[in-house]
Parts: sequence; structure tokens; C-alpha cells
Amino acid sequence: MYQKILVAHDGSPGAFAALTAALDLAARLEAEIHMVSVTQLPAFPGTMDEVIEEQDEGRRHFQPVVDRAKKLAALKGLTLEAHVLPGHPVKVIADFVRDRAFDLLVVGFMGHSAVYNSLIGSTTDRLVNHAPSAVLVVK
Amino acid sequence: MENVWLITALWVGLALAAALLSVRFAVSVALTEIVVGAIAGNLIHLQISEWVNWLAGFGAILLTFLAGVEIDIGIVKRNFWSTMSVGLMGFFAPYLGILLFARFVYGWPWDQAQIAGIALSTTSVAVVYAVMVETGFNRTEIGKIILAACFINDLGTVMALGLVFANYNLWLLFFAVLTIIVLFLLPRLVPWFFETIGTRVSEPEIKLIFLVLLGVGGLASVAKSEAVLPAYLIGMVLAPTFARYQVIAHRMRAIAFATMTPFYFLKAGSLVQARTIITAAGLIGVYFGLKMLTKFGGILPLTKAFRFDAREGMYTTLLMCTGLTFGTISALFGLTNHIIDETQYTVLVTAVILSAVIPTLIAERWFQPDYRPLDSEQQQQQPAN
Repeated sequence: MYQKILVAHDGSPGAFAALTAALDLAARLEAEIHMVSVTQLPAFPGTMDEVIEEQDEGRRHFQPVVDRAKKLAALKGLTLEAHVLPGHPVKVIADFVRDRAFDLLVVGFMGHSAVYNSLIGSTTDRLVNHAPSAVLVVK
Repeated sequence: MENVWLITALWVGLALAAALLSVRFAVSVALTEIVVGAIAGNLIHLQISEWVNWLAGFGAILLTFLAGVEIDIGIVKRNFWSTMSVGLMGFFAPYLGILLFARFVYGWPWDQAQIAGIALSTTSVAVVYAVMVETGFNRTEIGKIILAACFINDLGTVMALGLVFANYNLWLLFFAVLTIIVLFLLPRLVPWFFETIGTRVSEPEIKLIFLVLLGVGGLASVAKSEAVLPAYLIGMVLAPTFARYQVIAHRMRAIAFATMTPFYFLKAGSLVQARTIITAAGLIGVYFGLKMLTKFGGILPLTKAFRFDAREGMYTTLLMCTGLTFGTISALFGLTNHIIDETQYTVLVTAVILSAVIPTLIAERWFQPDYRPLDSEQQQQQPAN
């Protein structure tokens, strides 16, 4: 059924729940499993320093997330390939799914406040709309 | 009598609010500080005391120094003709076009027209760099050429700012000679100093850089030049050193962004008059349009001459239409030195802010070249296992 699974991970507990579900699915289907995390850079930066520091912060933030995810995958006998990319999360993840021809995207319920969700919409909502593959939302 | 602590608390509170908003909405902290400063300036009339001016001024010097530190001289050398011609045209076309338009169409006096030309001649290296990182173009040759051209463009801007309004006397000669000696000695002295002194809690490395920036900047002021000129040049000659000592650059950024640059951007925003934005909307649109038009006139033909394909040419030109930090520095220089008034300042800064946003959106939405270098970018970004 699904041969290439991608799980989007922002480091939140919801994303770890999605990772666990994705690993179970990958083990059962003997599918390839990847994880993508996105470092969001500031729009219209005034200085290069802002961009450089955000990139560094992203690496620092996601390093333990990647380490923990790989350990969880190893416990299930899987090899997890992790990718940390810069940019806008929805666009980067949707493009990555398209470019690498993943057939399933697994995302956690990435909770913002109710106000934020109603005004701007959640990352999960927008991934469901824009990802060019099947999407599994784990809550 | 002013209560310095309460006034400081107000400024720091505004800086904190701007930082939180920038994090929440993933928008530049510099841009957010300008907007928060503009709102506060118009609503509560922020008090700008001498110490605020000092912090803001030093913030501008550090911003300029840190911008210079990021230049890759090797790229400029490897792609000398394309980089220099695109960069210089990116400066001269809007500078001359807007200078002449402001002087002869709007009748601004020469000095005011000069400020308009300089403020709108800039390119935002930061906006270009962020777009490049997101798309992966910073790892391609064309991306490196565009970035290096942006540095040359901004070098033109700081040179103009430093030289156009200077008093051509013995002080300027002394400043020029001393700057040349400092630029020659620093790439030898600083690495030796960093190596010898090591990392200490008292941060002697940073104090040395501050000493040089303030000393040479002070001489620039005596010669009626601008302290950001030597700061940018000193940053450029120390770029290879700071590439090796990145932790020092990180600490300098932390000092600058926590304690100085918020005062600079908040102050720049607080001087913007909301009423003028409405009453002079037409003029703001004209200046913004002129910046785009003159950048296109200057850069697009060169991209064809250097055989960029059509989409790459448009993308490059649009990215080089952007501008923020050096544009506001130039406009604020004009206001601080009573060359332009607050109405003209508002017009120029608003046009500069528009140029930070609109060309980027157009470039990313309609002209992003087809190349998708995510694979290579991913290797760069992937944490070590």
C-alpha cells in the first residue's frame, strides 16, 4: 500500500505521537520512513544576522528531536532518514513530498491557540490542503 | 526631570513586544521593531533622549560592521566582472535616477535629493540571503554572484553616505589615511590578538573591535563623514577572521540585538508620521516605483549580458530591488543631520519598507527559477548524527 512515508515533526508532543504512528505503519507495511523538520526563517529580515541565528537555533532545536526519533525507529528495527530544511513549513513540506514522491504524509495535531487557528489556520490544516499525497493526521 | 529607568523600561518593553511578535509571526525583528516604534511614536510620543541616540547610533555601527563581516571576498574575486557590474549598477541606477528626479521634478534641494537617492539605492542583503537559503540558491553559482553583488551595491551606498556630505578638509584626509592604515593592520592584528588572548569572560576580543569601531567612527564624525562607512569596511577586511571565530560573531550579535539595535529600529520607526503616510501616499508610491524602475533599467540588461536566463534575470533584479536596514540608516542620517525634515523622512522610510516586502513577494510568487536544490540544502542543514 504505502511504500514511502514521511512524518513531519516540529518537536512537539503531538509530532512525537505522529512519529510513533508512522513508525508502526512503516514496520507493518515494510515501508521506507523519513522525517522532515522545518526551521522557519523570518520573513523580510533586516539583517543577515537574523537569518544566521535562526538557522543555528533551528539546528540546536532539532538535533535532540532527530536523535530521539532515530532511537525510536531503531527500537522497531527501522532506519529513519531525517531531514532538517529551512523555509516556510507548509510550502517546504508540500514541496518535499512532491519532489521525493512520498505516498503518505503523517502529521501530528500541531496545536496553536483557538484564536490563531481561526485567524491564520493551523499548519496541519494547511498541510492537509496542500500536500500532494495522502495525509494522516494523528491526534 | 526624566526618570531614566522608567523611560528605559518603556523602550525595552517595546523591544520585547516586537521580539515576541516577530517570533509569533515569523517576521523580521528589525521590521517589527520599526512598525512597533512607528505605532508607539504616533500614539504615545516616545521620548528620544541623548542616551537613546547613543545606543541607536552604536546599534547602526554594529549592524553595518556585522553586515560587512558576512561578505565573501573570494566570490567577488572569482566573479569579478559580473559581481562588480551588477552591484555597481544596482547602486548607481537608482541613486542617480532618484537624485535627479527628486531635484528636478519635485524640486528638492540637492542635499535632500542626495539623501533620497542614497536611501533608495540600497539592496537588502538580508532579504536576498533569506530567500536564497530557503530555496537553496545560496549554494549555486548564480546565488553566490547575486549575494556578492548585493554587498557591492551596499558598499556603494555606505561610500556615498560617508563621502557625499563630508567636509573636504585636512580632517577628512587624516580620517582617510588612518582608515587605510587600520584596514591594512587589522587583518594581521586581530587574528593574532584573538589567538593570543583566548576566550575570557571579560571579552577582550569584543572590546578591541568596539574600540576600533568607535575610534575610527569618531574620526569619521569629526570629518563630517558617517561612522557606518569605516564600520562596513572594517567588517569586510575582518570577514575571513570572523569566519574562523564564529563564536565571537555570535556574541557580538547577542550584544547588538539585545541592547542596541532595538533602540535603532524603534527610533527609526518612532520618527515616522502616520499622517504623512496618508497625505503623501502618492509620493511614497512614486519613490517606490522609481526605485523598482531604475533597478530594472540598470540590472535587467546586465543579467542578459551575463547570460542569466529570462526567469533568473527577473528573479535577480527583483531581489536586488529590496532594501531595509541601509535605507533606514541613510534616511535617519539625513534627519539627524537636519538635511531632510520629518515629512521627507517618513516618505523615504515608508518607500524603503515597501521595497523590503513587495519585490520579495513578487519574486517568490512568480519568478522563482525552476531549479529546486532541496537535496543539497538538506545535507547542509541536516544535524550531525
